Amino acid sequence: MPEFHRRDFLKLVGASAGAAAASGCGDHVTKLIPYVVQPDEIVPGIANYYASTCQACPAACGLHVKTREGRPIKLEGNPDHPVNKGALCALGQASIGWTYHPDRYKAPRKRNPDGTYSDVSWDEAIALLSGEIKKAGGRTWLLGGETGPTAGRWIDAWVTAVGAGGRVVYEPFAPEALRDAVTAVFGAPGEPVFDLSGSDFVIDFGSDFLESGPSPTEHARQLAAARDVSKPGAHAARFVYVGPRLSMTASNADEWIAARPGSEALVALALVKVALGANAGPLAGLVGDVDLAAVAQQADVPVATLERVGKALGAAKAPVLIPPGVALASRRAASTARTVLLANVALGALGKTLRIAPPREGKRSSYRETLALVDAMKGGSVGVLIVHGSNPLYSLPPASGFADALAKVPFVVSLASIADETSERANLILPDHAPLESWGDAESRAGIRGVVQPTLRPLYDTRAAVDTLLDVARAMGPDVAAQLPEGSFRSLVEQSFAGTDWHATLQNGGVFQEAAPLAVAVAAPAVEVAEPALDGDGEFTLVAASGALFNDGRGANLPWLQETPDPVTKVMWQSFAEISPRAAEKLGGLEFGDVIGVATSAGSVELPVVVRSGVRDDVIAISIGQGHTVGHWASLADGGRPGEKRGVNVIELLPALTDEAGGRAWLLAKARVASAGRHERLPIAQFSQDQRGRRLGLAVTLAELAGGAPAAHGATEAALPAVAADAGHGESAGHGAEGGHGGEHGHLRDFDAAMDRVPGGAYRWGMSIDMDKCTGCSACVVACYIENNIGIVGEEEVRRGRHMAWLRIERWVGDGSLEGGEDRVPIIPDESGTTVDIRHTAMLCKHCGAAPCEPVCPVIATYHNDDGLNGMIYNRCIGTRYCANNCPYKVRKYNWYDLALTRWPEPMRLLANPDVTVRGQGVMEKCTFCVQRIATARQVAKDENRSIADGEVTTACAQSCPTSAITFGNLVDANSAVAKAGSDPVRGYHSLHELNTRPAVTYLAKVKRGSIEG
Amino acid sequence: MACATCLAVGLVFGLSGPEPVAAQAPAAAAPSGPRSSQKAYDAQAAASDPDAPGLLQPIPFSHALHAGEYKIDCMYCHTGTDQSRAAGVPSVELCMGCHAQFGGDMEGVQTLKKFWDEQKPIPWLQIHRVPEHVKFRHNRHVQAGVECQRCHGPVETMDKIHLTSDTIWWPWLLPSKKLEMGWCIDCHRQNQASQDCLTCHY
Repeated sequence: MPEFHRRDFLKLVGASAGAAAASGCGDHVTKLIPYVVQPDEIVPGIANYYASTCQACPAACGLHVKTREGRPIKLEGNPDHPVNKGALCALGQASIGWTYHPDRYKAPRKRNPDGTYSDVSWDEAIALLSGEIKKAGGRTWLLGGETGPTAGRWIDAWVTAVGAGGRVVYEPFAPEALRDAVTAVFGAPGEPVFDLSGSDFVIDFGSDFLESGPSPTEHARQLAAARDVSKPGAHAARFVYVGPRLSMTASNADEWIAARPGSEALVALALVKVALGANAGPLAGLVGDVDLAAVAQQADVPVATLERVGKALGAAKAPVLIPPGVALASRRAASTARTVLLANVALGALGKTLRIAPPREGKRSSYRETLALVDAMKGGSVGVLIVHGSNPLYSLPPASGFADALAKVPFVVSLASIADETSERANLILPDHAPLESWGDAESRAGIRGVVQPTLRPLYDTRAAVDTLLDVARAMGPDVAAQLPEGSFRSLVEQSFAGTDWHATLQNGGVFQEAAPLAVAVAAPAVEVAEPALDGDGEFTLVAASGALFNDGRGANLPWLQETPDPVTKVMWQSFAEISPRAAEKLGGLEFGDVIGVATSAGSVELPVVVRSGVRDDVIAISIGQGHTVGHWASLADGGRPGEKRGVNVIELLPALTDEAGGRAWLLAKARVASAGRHERLPIAQFSQDQRGRRLGLAVTLAELAGGAPAAHGATEAALPAVAADAGHGESAGHGAEGGHGGEHGHLRDFDAAMDRVPGGAYRWGMSIDMDKCTGCSACVVACYIENNIGIVGEEEVRRGRHMAWLRIERWVGDGSLEGGEDRVPIIPDESGTTVDIRHTAMLCKHCGAAPCEPVCPVIATYHNDDGLNGMIYNRCIGTRYCANNCPYKVRKYNWYDLALTRWPEPMRLLANPDVTVRGQGVMEKCTFCVQRIATARQVAKDENRSIADGEVTTACAQSCPTSAITFGNLVDANSAVAKAGSDPVRGYHSLHELNTRPAVTYLAKVKRGSIEG
Repeated sequence: MACATCLAVGLVFGLSGPEPVAAQAPAAAAPSGPRSSQKAYDAQAAASDPDAPGLLQPIPFSHALHAGEYKIDCMYCHTGTDQSRAAGVPSVELCMGCHAQFGGDMEGVQTLKKFWDEQKPIPWLQIHRVPEHVKFRHNRHVQAGVECQRCHGPVETMDKIHLTSDTIWWPWLLPSKKLEMGWCIDCHRQNQASQDCLTCHY
């Protein structure tokens, strides 16, 4: 540290004091920068919305991109899109960050012989690449993720035109086994579409369809519809999860059958045997051989359970069975998928809850082809490798030898938009546009064709991948160019929609005419249900879990996803291994955060454990997605260049093996686990999932629901108009008309305590949250972050408990135990039973009628307004934090630093919402019920001289929710959706109602449907 | 308090803000069109007087000439003020709509044309400014019939625009200057407009 003398210090102080005086606040000069030419459609201050399509995963949900002054600032679901119907998952919400990501390549770059990079012009880069391709000829290969139909079509045409070796489509989470099973079972390729909305019995064989399945948002909506108890007469579908780990999807099930991983096919057969006996249709042969006792032993499931669930399955009218997804894709994944598909057929699901849609346009490759390409690279028979839309160096197991293979390719080209592991090894980087700058299209299912339209001008000197390839072809000479179309990728996209009204297509976000399902006949494919082989030895089976946030790791460079707690363990920013308490005991009494070494035949890692009973004793589960070496937020490196890993990459532990049909297998390895003798403090949002009887997340049984007695005692007290009349009942007596606010004192304004509002007031904004619909997916959390400019605090600050989420999802296991554990040691709640009772409680500011935060504020920075909002006035706040201390819900967040300004690398701040003040250091903040949206709706209503209609304004969280668990609106209007939803006499309750805070947020208790009865 | 709004305004044209162009552009370009009136020359001189109150703008634009003398409606140039929270600052194109035809002999218009030729926006300096945590809505006030002059002063008489002084004294003799919150609230009180904090602060 340099010498620093007192005199220097005084000089500095003097100088800065002078500077402060000279540049007093009054002299602050801002510039008003007008347009040179103002686009017709832009009025500064008014948002424009454009329909587009999400490109974060192959589900291809419809988008409405909200733009302000030409910048996209928020992604919302397109209500007209048949897949997501207005909702958008966490990854989709956060994917806006890819457009403004600091790791974006700003121009083409070339690697110099000494390993450094230098920017080159596009012309130079295209000439370089076309020269290399001429040299390599058929030794040119493309490796990339799934593209839209138009891009795929022309990339394939390009491959032929330039005489390249071929293209391998590499999508790590592609449902390859299922795709193969459809071809095998139905004799023709097709896409299985599981429609849960009409089902009354759902069994998920570990596909985790609410997290990483083929269409999580759509399935979440369908599951909620199938289990909607508010609709009289609707069937409340039962949901059973079969799998070794109680995932987020499983936490929504009624029953968890913790079968040994790899035994799913056996369990399916056993269930079908009990359900149908000899009438098992196409499965009759296989079912005949099934011995329940043997299955029970192999799968480690009691015979009684199989019989009970099987019987219920047999009684179900419209059952649906979902084959395993990523985590349980074993070396027999194809057979398992075939078995489960056949079981669906046997149970009569075909045509009801399962339909086979025609295959989507576009090439698909199997994992085996990817591995073959890697072998070819190793053998030196690949001269030019063009990588696009994927990051194989991260997502292929090192056991495949991809890193060495890449080194053997003389010329590697990356078309990545953002720096990743693979692109950082490329000889030439030709950056693609970011998703929101591109044209394109995407097919969710045959006939559901979304269009991708750019919503901002490219920020950097980038070019669409297809345009780059076309330019390369043109540079290779007229004969090559003649085989390819003229014009740009944009015109090719437009041509793909020839025959439709192009402007209407753009306006609607695509053409949505789902193709009729295929008429299929059932073939009888070979099915082998023996237990799959696992590589290596060890006491544990390694399960690479696929969570709701990072997908295959592509989401790890999005700060909101890193800062969103894992929906199951609530850990943020880090990797962790889940083991059961019994396993932890065996390993020497491991506790939360103790570091273990995990070794498989393919590799070894060290990481902290999370001890939870929601995982089998012989299983160790590590989530996919972390462990990047490149990228802001994804790695510990700051500048996006190779650096320290954040967490571990579980793929490094997996051998490079396929299932019997050539699809990618993930359930592959046995693991040896040993304590590393260290402890790490994991950044975690919720230390204990035991609510210790505090009644934050309540549940009612089916019997209570039918009985009609308010199981959540005192739930429906005064604040709700619909029940205000009988506000004196039960425990809520005393919370009635005279509570808190007096109207008779002369100096106080009149207050209608029963309604928590000023008499005659037109609004009391309120919310109802249906915990029975909440799946815990955290889409709302990310939506809230982006809508409200909430700061990202980072891993270290999270450890200090300073994360800023205005809305968090608390995960509670059952009612909890009143007996406390020791200090600082979390009670490990018992999730291990077969009956699942996990409650996801969205916790946000309750805008209490009698808010404890308000009277303690010394400067009246928080107060109640006439519309029932608990206002938080940032410019008044002096940061005493009294309000946060007095808030029983802990939903007020304090800015310890000037987060948004100092920590957001350029150009991330471009996505700040201009309608929301960015809070500075020393200011308290909290959920505002998206008051900026209310204010905007109020302007529209005022212009038309009316009041705000129901449904006209909704919050960002409610907007994004796939299951519509959140309803927002005006409680004064007894006919509003929120008033109706919240007036459920049985399920409605207020969190911590005994404190008489009279919240405007009403929860609807989760429904405990209990275990399946035979 | 950081400023999402001004980021928005400032960043419309890309990442780096445009370089300010010197206010005194060389008058070398050959004047085109009819010679402007002496009034126009006087107004330009007054608007570029560094000693007059207010900030020296990149172009010596005179509101007194345009709004006072020529009686151009405020919202002819400041479009969108009745629709949006933001008062529109006219685009360079809009200025050129008239000045392509006349005024070419004047230094200020030549500077304007230079901006137009370079397709650069004019970096005007903001005079009437409320902090970023104030969500002032122009459209609401225009629609309520509040005259522009109520907050912006007699703009149609100002050559060089500046913040006019207007201090109201509260009953307990506290001063509240123009565009300060007390000054806003005073008007809201008089007109029974909302005094809810959340109307302007969120």
